[in-house]
Amino acid sequence: MSIGGRNRANAAGRLSVLVGVLSVPTFVGVWELIARSRIVNAVLFPPPSTVAVAVLDWIHSGQFFEDLSASLFRVTAGFLIGTAGGIMLGVLTGQFRLVSSLLSPLFHILRPIPPIAFVPIVILWFGLSEAGKLFLVVWGVFFTVWLATHIGVQKVDRGLIRAAQMLGTPRRQMLSEIVLLGALPYIVVGLRTAVSISFYTLVAAELAGAFAGIVYRIEIAQQNMQTGQVMGGLAALGLLSFIADRSFAAIAERAVWWR
Amino acid sequence: MMHNPLRPPPPLRLVDAAPAPSSATPQAIIRVEDLSIVFDVRRGQVIAVDRVSLAVMSGEFVSLVGPSGCGKSTLLNAMAGLERPFEGQVMVAGEPMLAPRPDIGMVFQQPHLFPWKSVRRNIAHGPRALGKSKAEALRTADDLIEMIGLTKFANAYPHTLSGGMQQRVAIARALANQPRVLLMDEPFGALDAQTRAVMQDNLLELRDRINATIVFVTHDIDEAILLSDRVLIMSAGPGRILRDLSVGLPRPRSSAILTDPAYLALKRDCLDLIRTEGRKAFEQMETVT
Repeated sequence: MSIGGRNRANAAGRLSVLVGVLSVPTFVGVWELIARSRIVNAVLFPPPSTVAVAVLDWIHSGQFFEDLSASLFRVTAGFLIGTAGGIMLGVLTGQFRLVSSLLSPLFHILRPIPPIAFVPIVILWFGLSEAGKLFLVVWGVFFTVWLATHIGVQKVDRGLIRAAQMLGTPRRQMLSEIVLLGALPYIVVGLRTAVSISFYTLVAAELAGAFAGIVYRIEIAQQNMQTGQVMGGLAALGLLSFIADRSFAAIAERAVWWR
Repeated sequence: MMHNPLRPPPPLRLVDAAPAPSSATPQAIIRVEDLSIVFDVRRGQVIAVDRVSLAVMSGEFVSLVGPSGCGKSTLLNAMAGLERPFEGQVMVAGEPMLAPRPDIGMVFQQPHLFPWKSVRRNIAHGPRALGKSKAEALRTADDLIEMIGLTKFANAYPHTLSGGMQQRVAIARALANQPRVLLMDEPFGALDAQTRAVMQDNLLELRDRINATIVFVTHDIDEAILLSDRVLIMSAGPGRILRDLSVGLPRPRSSAILTDPAYLALKRDCLDLIRTEGRKAFEQMETVT
């Protein structure tokens, strides 16, 4: 009976793997059928084959890599700058009461404003320059990382700090090693949230006006009624942020290396 | 702030088994003078330590024993520079304690090892923090690792070790700065009975080799008598020193003395005192609530 049970469990497992493998192709197939069946307007809802052709054209024209590198640059640079600032100020506000009293109220007021709401003022300040786009991504990333670091620093085991004090640890090392590494597990969680936030704000930044970028391309294609290209752009954006999130998860697992 | 960089720390004395060759009158390395420590609580203040005076001689092993909440850990923290006096002062090696000093080591009830460092690097942390070269710090660490018998685990991370092993690393880490005074705050309190017995024997052995002055906080009378030259019994809060008992039992000791008649007589004295104090503390709590 137990053997029969195991067989049944195996069969169920194999079936779910099979269904998992077929999930996306089935979805694409149904989409293709519906789009070609003339139930819907194929210009507004193009079949996947049209999308694939549009994507291939995009790649062949050389614009794809131009757009990709422009978007990747904004996300990466914005993420790095926002992260560096967020961690630095998070350590300071988490550790020093006076700094926290000075900055935390301000940060808590600014933090809940969605970065997209800053688009109009950013256009006034920076025009259509690259700096404005970086500003938006940095803004979105900074507060998330700051808050995670601030909380992480406050949750560092006081016993570790006392032990380090007793061993004569200099002040600087106390911050850069004991406090920072003690808070690292919290910081890493904040960083992962910041990865997806940096993609949200990228969308706002490129819609606000750009000269290259994946979201910029989507917008141009929309104005030209190239719906295949629009959907191709969406797929590229989805794939990109998916890869970013997964690779960050892999890095995060190693970042807290002692676990 | 209190550390004088001009005065080199004493040399590592791991091998020298002889007690400190002091002059005819032994020097008090720790002097607590009329020390009171007061904590702010929601409704006013609580006196944790009440006008305590005591002296610990260089090379001595002294235990502080008392019911929980009697202020013995607070007194120890004041010796460590982790707690500021409200009144009176704590002098260690002739200087008032206002902040932690690397010539005074501390072992807490929890090991508090740095989870991101291997055993070796945990122990090397102190010497590195004091500006020793990496090679020198690691050499000190390796010597200590051998002494605590964890050579096989030198590169292991703390969470992979048992509680007893972690506490041994914590002791080695505190010794790596060659402290003149080692303060221990119920270091074996969180361990199971068997591990604790082994750790006590280890500490007795270790003590013969390091020759540091040790102040040991515990609520376990057996432990206090087994390890110490002197046992200070504290009263229930506010903390005061009730009795200062010399343990005249011969050294080297091992847990075998736990059945010695002299030992048992001493223990009976302690137990009587503590039982009266415990009852007092309990009644105080009843009247407060």
